Amino acid sequence: MKLRITFAAVAALSLVVVAAAFAGSDGKAAKAARGSAAIACGTTRTIGVAAPITGPAASIGQQQLRWAQYYVKRWNAVKANAKQKIAIVQGDTQLGVDTAFAVKVAQSFASNAKVLGVVGPAGSQEVVASTSALQGKGLGFVSGSATRVSLTDGHTDGVNRQGFFFRTVPNDNVQGPTVANYIRLKLKAQRVVVIDDQEAYSQGLSDTVQAALKAKGISVTRESVSQDTTDFSSLIAKIPGNTDVIYIPWQLSPRAQAFGQQLKGAGKNITLFGSDGLFDPATWKISGSYDSFFPVDTNNPIVKAYVSAHNGDGEYFGAPTYAATQVLVGAVTRACADGKATRAEVRRQIARTNIPAAQSVLGFRIVYQKNGELRYGGFGVFQIQSDGTYKRVG
Amino acid sequence: MSQNLRQQLVNLTGLGIALLGWTLYAVYLSPTQGWTFYFQLTVNGIILGSVYALIALGYTMVYGILKLLNFAHGDVFMVGAFIALGVLNLIGGAFSPAIPAGAGGALIVLCMFAAAMTGSGFLGVAIERFAYRPLRNAPRIAPLITALGVAFFLENSMLLLFGSKFRTYNGFDLVSYNGIHIGGDNGVFVQYLGLMVIVSAVALMIGLIALVRWTQLGRAMRAVSFDREAAAMMGIDPDRVIAGTFFIGSALAGAAGVMFGLLYSQIYHLMGFLAGLKGFTAAVVGGIGSIPGAMLGGLLVGLVESWAKGYLSGNVSDLVVFGILIGIMLVRPSGLLGTPALQKV
Repeated sequence: MKLRITFAAVAALSLVVVAAAFAGSDGKAAKAARGSAAIACGTTRTIGVAAPITGPAASIGQQQLRWAQYYVKRWNAVKANAKQKIAIVQGDTQLGVDTAFAVKVAQSFASNAKVLGVVGPAGSQEVVASTSALQGKGLGFVSGSATRVSLTDGHTDGVNRQGFFFRTVPNDNVQGPTVANYIRLKLKAQRVVVIDDQEAYSQGLSDTVQAALKAKGISVTRESVSQDTTDFSSLIAKIPGNTDVIYIPWQLSPRAQAFGQQLKGAGKNITLFGSDGLFDPATWKISGSYDSFFPVDTNNPIVKAYVSAHNGDGEYFGAPTYAATQVLVGAVTRACADGKATRAEVRRQIARTNIPAAQSVLGFRIVYQKNGELRYGGFGVFQIQSDGTYKRVG
Repeated sequence: MSQNLRQQLVNLTGLGIALLGWTLYAVYLSPTQGWTFYFQLTVNGIILGSVYALIALGYTMVYGILKLLNFAHGDVFMVGAFIALGVLNLIGGAFSPAIPAGAGGALIVLCMFAAAMTGSGFLGVAIERFAYRPLRNAPRIAPLITALGVAFFLENSMLLLFGSKFRTYNGFDLVSYNGIHIGGDNGVFVQYLGLMVIVSAVALMIGLIALVRWTQLGRAMRAVSFDREAAAMMGIDPDRVIAGTFFIGSALAGAAGVMFGLLYSQIYHLMGFLAGLKGFTAAVVGGIGSIPGAMLGGLLVGLVESWAKGYLSGNVSDLVVFGILIGIMLVRPSGLLGTPALQKV
């Protein structure tokens, strides 16, 4: 009797599995998988915003979310957009904890039929992890901070994201040489310590800068520290006192601030050089340090309005996410011109983006190359002043 | 000499020999850095260990009196750090012109300690009153689960109240970036802030030992720890004594929170998790229930972590710390200065 029941249960289970498999290959589902299922746009269109809203990188994720919301708020406030409003679905990727969170967010966006495109994710490792879920369901995604080179070269990490992934920041091939040249030519450093934070973003940038400096005969020592570290004293003890520059391409500005303070506290006055991931004047303010960053146009009226609306805190790290939201909303609006849109149409419209410099918080025209990279734009070098402000020096 | 004391002496001797051997290896035989590096890491480890020791004391006191692992203790440490941040923000932060250099900064730090210790102490009493006391006669798993619940409650409450952003005391700006150089400019550097942390921790530990040994509350604590029912029959109010224990343990965690914030400049709602875990490890390594054991365990965990980070890598420091915990537990299940539980047969 027991055997018969077991057999029946196994047979029923097999039927369910087979039925599910066939359901998965149904025409409508397959269309959705390619992103060609039409969605009625209605008067409110939905986009996803994937950012580390909580967790160790929340300080940058919150900035990105606020800038994205800022764009949507401005868009929705315009009378002409009353019948084409935008709604945001948020996804918390918890950068720095586990990329599994980014994958979950991507899956939830992908399975939400209302979502037409995605702003984010923030970290390069998150882009790598969530590509399969987003791309599999036809979603285009525009990151305002992922700078890893391999994301757009179509082969290094074995995935071709062309036509799906776009970004509103230049990549590390632009940032790395800019930093290395500045350290060598302007700071005239002879001994440099490079410390990565064990994440893909940081390691890639560290490799680029290390190789560029070594090629010019500069002594470079490589160290590595986890993003979870709060006590840097042992690492600081390892750094020779005669070091000229410490390069820290990290993503968590509070960690860099703590590192800088502990370094000074240990009696070592060494120049620190951060990357775009640390560009956070509210937190990272070790006087005399340097930072490379996307050239956000601080004179742009939109940026100025944001600053005054946020108690003088520019939260500039989030500004490219404003541009990413602008790119995506523009694409959604164009794709919805006939009242219906597919995710594939939205992707095509993203590729055709053309935002004039005057309307861009980045200070340059936003136009894409075929691989999803910006056609224009570069990195600037900023120095942190004694009052905590950032001054562009290169 | 009791068998227990003899065993503790054997443990301490073994530990001393191991530390001496490691020191000789690190100073004379280590191919890399030499004595300066070793002693710099040692100083760093003692500073970090002082913080862990204060957290461990709270774990050990509560366990000693209630046989409860208060997993919310790490989050009381976090709340203490936030209370001190509140005091600092009231004045306008470390860079405020209201804070004069030197003595003024020290006075502010003193206020931060007082507020954090008082606030954390009362928080501990509230946790005991509302989360643990109703479960005092329940199976031991119940308060353990409640403790985890309280931990998450505190973490998420702070997230809702203050957001997820990292905050900083800018401790070195507040106190001083200066310190003492031992062995010349390239020798061992001990920051004044680090010294202040060590001195404060030692003073608090001595105060605690004095309280437990020579005050009426201390005697009552020992009595309740030994036999709660018998202590009640002798006229001691166990509820008051337990509340007092929670107050003191939590106040020490609050002080540790301020020290951590001053030294490592990062205050956030999840900071109590790992620090609490390390404090718990320290309490277990030292022998949970033993006050000197908690101090020894804290220092040992801090030292091992610092050495592992310096000689190996930050990636493996936790592996080494918890590996040593497992090793000590295998060799000496009741910890270095713990008392083996006697079973009546």
